[in-house]
Amino acid sequence: MSDIVTTKEKYPAGDFGVWIIIYIELVTFAMLFVGYAFSRRADVELFNQSQLMLNQTSGFINTIILITSSYFVAKAVQAVKSMDETNYKEFNKKASKWLIFALICGATFLLVKITEFSHIFGEGINLSTNKFFMFYLLLTGFHFMHVMLGSIILFNIFMRTRKFGYTPEDTRGIESGASYWHMVDLLWIVLFPLIYIIR
Amino acid sequence: MKKILEIIWIVLIALTLFAYLLGYLKYIDSALVSILLLTTFIKGALVSDHFMGLKSVDSKYRVVPIIWLSIVLSLIAIAYYL
Repeated sequence: MSDIVTTKEKYPAGDFGVWIIIYIELVTFAMLFVGYAFSRRADVELFNQSQLMLNQTSGFINTIILITSSYFVAKAVQAVKSMDETNYKEFNKKASKWLIFALICGATFLLVKITEFSHIFGEGINLSTNKFFMFYLLLTGFHFMHVMLGSIILFNIFMRTRKFGYTPEDTRGIESGASYWHMVDLLWIVLFPLIYIIR
Repeated sequence: MKKILEIIWIVLIALTLFAYLLGYLKYIDSALVSILLLTTFIKGALVSDHFMGLKSVDSKYRVVPIIWLSIVLSLIAIAYYL
């Protein structure tokens, strides 16, 4: 019998501060998700009728885009974590390649969402239209801002990889930014079925 | 396993496609909502374990997103079924 010993890291990757932010964001969104679910229960017909005005396909496309961008970011982190003193430039280059793909995904997500918002606003819908659209605009608008911030963070990380800024001793910046981006993905994974699918 | 991230990505895409087809075909009944919420839990757990890398971290950090997903999805289910 072979002895396989797996050692676990004591702390998650990245700065402690970013994990505090992640936990706060998870709690904030949890309140909105649960608020939506119980408000829906109070007026199922209104929520189901209003949901028909949403474009499920754009919600689906955005889910695929965010999941794929998370994969690219995970590959960038994997590249940076595999480097040593002799090859760190090559691995920074690899990471920057993955980050370009992730940034393209982030920009595409925002573009699809802007198109969806302009359609919704074009129909004369706003926060006061009804409870469904209040939650829809709050949840997706708040999430949209997180994708924007995440994209800015990823862009900064990308610029640092271009300058070969990550070394085997210093990968915390990319790990922190990646953790934030994965949180944005995690939130959308719950948001998509809740707002677009369940009826 | 070398290709673990690729496998996780494929599973996430497949589960998302499943959710979309349910919505697109308007084939959502109460029983399927449970399955949809379960697949959402699996997707969230895969992202936190493998993309965030929490699988290789001390359990007390790993369980936070899992507990978060369990509470949020259970409350959504309660709101749907009660």
